[in-house]
Amino acid sequence: MSEAKPGANGHGDAAEAAEHTAGHTAEHTAEVRMLAPAALRFAATEGGFLALTVTGGEKSEHYPRINAFRTFPLSDADRYLSLRDAGGKEIGILESLADLRSDQAALLRQELERRYFTPVIERVRSLKEEFGYSYWLVETDAGQRRFTVQSGKNNVTVVGERRLLIVDVDGNRFFVDDYHRLDRNMLKTVETLL
Amino acid sequence: MEQTIPQEIRDRLAAAGVRPDEVRHAVRSDLDADGRYGSQWALATDTALHLVDGERVDSHALAELGEMQAQALVTGGLLMTRPDGLGADASAPAAGAADGADLDRLLLRFTNSEAQRFETFARAVAALQKGERAQAAEAERERNCPRCGLRYPDQHRSVCPRCIDKRGLFLRVLGYLRPYRGWVALIAAAMVAAAGLRTVAPLLSGRVLFDDVLDQAGRFHGQLAELIAVLVGVHLLGVLAEVLHMRITARVSVSMIYDLKNEIFAALQRLSLGFFTRKQTGGLMVRVNHDSDNLNYFFIDGLPYFVVNMVQIVAIVSAMIALNWSLALLLLIPAPLAVLIIRRLVPRIWRLFGRQYRSLAILNGVVEDSLSGVRVVKAFGKEQEEIERFGPVNDEVYRAHRRTQQMLATLFPSVAFLTQLGGLVVWAAGGWQVVSGNLTFGVLMSFVGFVALLYEPLRFMTKVVEWWSAAMNSAQRIFEILDSVPEVAERADPVPLPAMRGTVELRGVSFGYEPNKPVLHEIDLHVAAGETVGLVGRTGAGKSTLINLITRLYDTGSGQVLIDGVDVRDLRTADLRRQVGIILQDPYLFAGSVAGNIAYGRPDASRAQVVAAARAAFAHDFITKLPNGYDTVIGSRGHGLSGGERQRLSIARAVLLDPRILILDEATSSVDSTTEEMIQQALERLIHGRTTIAIAHRLSTLRMADRLVVVEEGRLVEQGTHDELMERGGVYRRLVRKQHDALAVIGIGARR
Repeated sequence: MSEAKPGANGHGDAAEAAEHTAGHTAEHTAEVRMLAPAALRFAATEGGFLALTVTGGEKSEHYPRINAFRTFPLSDADRYLSLRDAGGKEIGILESLADLRSDQAALLRQELERRYFTPVIERVRSLKEEFGYSYWLVETDAGQRRFTVQSGKNNVTVVGERRLLIVDVDGNRFFVDDYHRLDRNMLKTVETLL
Repeated sequence: MEQTIPQEIRDRLAAAGVRPDEVRHAVRSDLDADGRYGSQWALATDTALHLVDGERVDSHALAELGEMQAQALVTGGLLMTRPDGLGADASAPAAGAADGADLDRLLLRFTNSEAQRFETFARAVAALQKGERAQAAEAERERNCPRCGLRYPDQHRSVCPRCIDKRGLFLRVLGYLRPYRGWVALIAAAMVAAAGLRTVAPLLSGRVLFDDVLDQAGRFHGQLAELIAVLVGVHLLGVLAEVLHMRITARVSVSMIYDLKNEIFAALQRLSLGFFTRKQTGGLMVRVNHDSDNLNYFFIDGLPYFVVNMVQIVAIVSAMIALNWSLALLLLIPAPLAVLIIRRLVPRIWRLFGRQYRSLAILNGVVEDSLSGVRVVKAFGKEQEEIERFGPVNDEVYRAHRRTQQMLATLFPSVAFLTQLGGLVVWAAGGWQVVSGNLTFGVLMSFVGFVALLYEPLRFMTKVVEWWSAAMNSAQRIFEILDSVPEVAERADPVPLPAMRGTVELRGVSFGYEPNKPVLHEIDLHVAAGETVGLVGRTGAGKSTLINLITRLYDTGSGQVLIDGVDVRDLRTADLRRQVGIILQDPYLFAGSVAGNIAYGRPDASRAQVVAAARAAFAHDFITKLPNGYDTVIGSRGHGLSGGERQRLSIARAVLLDPRILILDEATSSVDSTTEEMIQQALERLIHGRTTIAIAHRLSTLRMADRLVVVEEGRLVEQGTHDELMERGGVYRRLVRKQHDALAVIGIGARR
């Protein structure tokens, strides 16, 4: 490997370099636009999505549909929320959901929970591991659900202290808030899956 | 096959004035309107969409809705409509636009489990909206085992691990033994002989020795030497039979596995690329090896010993019953108990071992992580933190180890004691019978020998179920590979096209590797014979996917790819492969000689042809300078050659193949500028006179192309020559500008 400057070979890397810089304008400048909570006005659209008006500055910006993303969905789900327009361009980052007025926070939370639909398992009714897959029947905060998880592929992982993230064969996600509180037999099976 | 609409939903529709037989497409969501698990239906007739949620039926005229779409979220998706005329990424924050009918409209949500169905549904309804009668809905795979209702764990395999026909599988595996029938008969004979001889031994050393030889009243009193001779003979014969059986077994099972592996590899080569991307190739290799090893063990250590042990158990038990049935029964009572205890203990030990194994894996991960990143660790001065990271992980390993060892330390002596206890029962019960005169001392000694002999087969039997299960699962997976039909398969009566002109046409091509995540949308492209077209676009825009479709590594989702007016799916594969050449970004060289690699596509090429091809690719000079010239053996992946050299070898390979259509995935890898020039020249020479479709990065290639096609987010957005596109001032101009700026920033003038 040569230690030369990137792109030192002339024009070879040029288009590649172009590709990197051709990203969204927000990435163009390293500056992150932190959105002041007071300047944001969320509104539910008639179509069932979320619209946003950012006031302040010269003119206010209006986005008829935005998408909200969690930048730390596992470790800090309600902070550093990336708000993006319908085309995926980042409008800015909201530092904390808690900074919003409660009705505004509720609107945004609804959008987030729709995107990161991850029911919390409250009770494991049955859990069986055989042939490299585990079969779960659980009660979640969104109702009863049956799903299948492939073993040994990091599909069951501990996040944080005692929270469990489970990803099933279809890519659906589930949380267990404190897996040590599962009953003994379930816990034993779960431990073999970790 | 579409989902069947339950009666309940039909009734709802009827109540809302919709005749159920008008429904063209239907799909069920597994979420209700509040986002809880439940059920909602979306049903489309030719003119309307009906959403049924519990009691409620919402109806919309299709003409008044925007275009139907299924949009993927992180863990699920939305069925929604988007105003006509806006692309999937319509983003303009249209200032002042009212949040009204001209906006995205959410219809319902679903989880990832239903994503594929909704994708199909949305596509079908969108077609209805355009007034097209949707193509016959794709056959949908059954997703639950019809026998037991268990959901198929792997959606690409309709295999229920619980209900696979293990007996049928076993018979099929046995089928591989057919060529070795004679040997197998010999093995069986040897096994039975060995088992029989082993059973005779305690009889001789017990009853015959004590009651017939040592006893004053015995039939053979005093004939000790003869007995010893017989005993030695029996043992010798036993050993001989065993050696014979093991040697033949080893031979037969190994040849059988050898046959099987050959077959698996051939089957793998037949499969389509999709199969390999779906199952990671590494995993696949492990699987093939692991599974055939599993079968191997089963045939060497499993099946023969199962038979031997069965014969042994039957022989011993019948001998014991024949000698003294009451003592035999007494002994057999605790046997099931022992089996039960072992079966209960084994899972616990497994768990402990599992924990130990996992903690060790984590520890190794940390060590490897830290040591291979040692430059970063030093540069950031994080030595202490790394030591602290190691501590708790090591702690866990220590704890897991200690628990396992302590468990084993308790377990082994206990188990040993239990077996000794079995012996003691014989001594006690038998001894008492001897004292009371109901049993001879010799028979007692034979029993002691039998009990010792019984222990091993019994222990084996406890494992047999798991072995059987594992082996049959392996067999199942192997047969699945053997039986799988390539998705990209040649038609039964393919159209031969021995001499292509080289026109390539894409008509309305849409494609995605995964449902719900389309990569290409409605691509229309015509490339004339001999034309050079450059594909331009950002990483991930869909350029490589486009190439995968043209070369038919994958088949299109909808639309057609035509070569000389013939759908590639109808073409004879051999004609396609021989006349479409590919030069990949990272050329793969096989382990073998330089000449062999150049001639990969045409093994019959003469040396002169190989050298000519190498010359054309500017590879001849460097090859000649190698000490072994064209005979130089390259390691797999081309170790020992530089990037530029590998590239030129792959160009030479394409030159020799002399394809009508050339696909070029231009490398962005850094090579020095002289090499760069040479590669460029080699390519120019190669492209000349052929239809060429190139993923282009270099400005020089871009300018060489007759036409450039700009791909963005899976759509064709611009076409034209370099100059035309620059003039137009669209996406292409922006890309080139950025490239120019980037070069300026790093202090290099872009060559224009």
